[in-house]
Amino acid sequence: MASNTSLWSRRTLIWGLVLRNVKVKYQRSLLGFLWTLVYPLLMVGVLVLVFTTVIRIQIDHFWAFLISGFFVWNYVSASLYAATYTLAEHAQITRSIALPNEALVVSAALSKLIEFLIELALVLIVLAVALHHHLPASFAALPLLLAIQFGLTLGLQLPIATLAVFYKDVQHALPLLLSALFYLSPVFYPASMIPESARDYYFMNPIAELLTLYHQVLYEARLPDIALLGSVTLKTAAILGLGLMVFNRFKHLFAEIL
Amino acid sequence: MNRDSEAAVLCSGVSKRFFLYEHAPNSLRELFIRTVRRKPIAARPYFALTDFDLRVMPGEAVAIIGQNGSGKSTVLRLIAGVYAPTSGTVTVRGRSATVIELGAGFHPELTGAENIALYGVIMGMSRQELAARYDAILAFADIGNFVETPVKYYSSGMRARLAFAVAVCVDHDVLLLDEVLAVGDEAFRHKCLNHLISYRDRGGTLVIASHDLDQACRLCSRAVWLDKGKLVMSGDVGAVADAYRAARA
Repeated sequence: MASNTSLWSRRTLIWGLVLRNVKVKYQRSLLGFLWTLVYPLLMVGVLVLVFTTVIRIQIDHFWAFLISGFFVWNYVSASLYAATYTLAEHAQITRSIALPNEALVVSAALSKLIEFLIELALVLIVLAVALHHHLPASFAALPLLLAIQFGLTLGLQLPIATLAVFYKDVQHALPLLLSALFYLSPVFYPASMIPESARDYYFMNPIAELLTLYHQVLYEARLPDIALLGSVTLKTAAILGLGLMVFNRFKHLFAEIL
Repeated sequence: MNRDSEAAVLCSGVSKRFFLYEHAPNSLRELFIRTVRRKPIAARPYFALTDFDLRVMPGEAVAIIGQNGSGKSTVLRLIAGVYAPTSGTVTVRGRSATVIELGAGFHPELTGAENIALYGVIMGMSRQELAARYDAILAFADIGNFVETPVKYYSSGMRARLAFAVAVCVDHDVLLLDEVLAVGDEAFRHKCLNHLISYRDRGGTLVIASHDLDQACRLCSRAVWLDKGKLVMSGDVGAVADAYRAARA
């Protein structure tokens, strides 16, 4: 029994669920993966239009700055929202078979990560060709940023998923929080525009740190700032640890409540 | 008592309490206020199972009978490890396979073949095991050339047959079935019954929850009768079934 419920021993299950998520989403749809791109591309188009013709933001190649962070933000916000319904979606399984519920959250997170990787590949090609005119060495730091991005998002998804089992409010409250966070994170403006005096508070938000690191690596084509990297890594470890604790504390109740 | 250590399934003094939330405390505000004031959320405790004992030896088949809401499914879910007991202990030796909701985990958009793979891994099969069992599962389910068709186009009988086939073809030591023997047509039910009899005769352990007393008598040697979460009678399946019939008449 014990071996049957540890997360690593159920990697076949996790992979099976990831495969299912991807298959279900893209089969019998003509445009398939392109649909995933429609929303971020539309938003990027609108934001570029607004911030280069209406509110003229002083950033060279604003489009390039925007796509360096926008897809990351999109990944984080879509993943966090998905965490509010992932467990409810699998209620039937949870009620009939003993399985590590983390696997359900992790597989949902991995499915989103696969989509993100494809988007990122496209962003990298566009930036290398149209902005840098070569392949910047800084792109080598991406695996590190990806690991932090995945860990941070998962660390937030676990308690959100737990809370969503008990309280429907989460599904209503989270979109509000996310839309506030969109303006409070450096998605369409650089963190350097935040007044010096407020920057410490601003960077308490790990998502702001993560986005800034992406701007450094993708847009500025320089190696990530070590202090920022250290800070976001610590926060990610703390959030992931806490998230797992919360999830493990309550998961034995999921089958009864779902 | 030394037989306890050899038991395939052992429940001792098991109780399961649920909380029925009457006015749903479904808001964070209420949670917050109650947490701050250290007042628990008002909920009516409800015992779905009280002080339940059950010992099933390897190779034994036991039926749990009782009316709706008597706690049959709760017992199976406790044995399966889906629920944690409120008090008492539940021990299972070996690997258990559960069929509480037939086809839990099936995705309607996926084909039969894809769902076999998905349901298989959910039931805990490895990839190699799945590959080895695949043909047996298909043969058992007998869904013909619908294998490559999305499950949403299946008839309910076909769906149930496929789910049942995957569940019983998993390598397991203990099989838990909840009212699922009423699926499919006469021929398929017969096939299921024969499969379960030969599984039992090979030394497999079986716990079924059933309304169907005749089926219970054919498959099981022993029965426990539950009423409102309490054990009413336990013993030879024929005797328990007769008493149960008499009580309900």
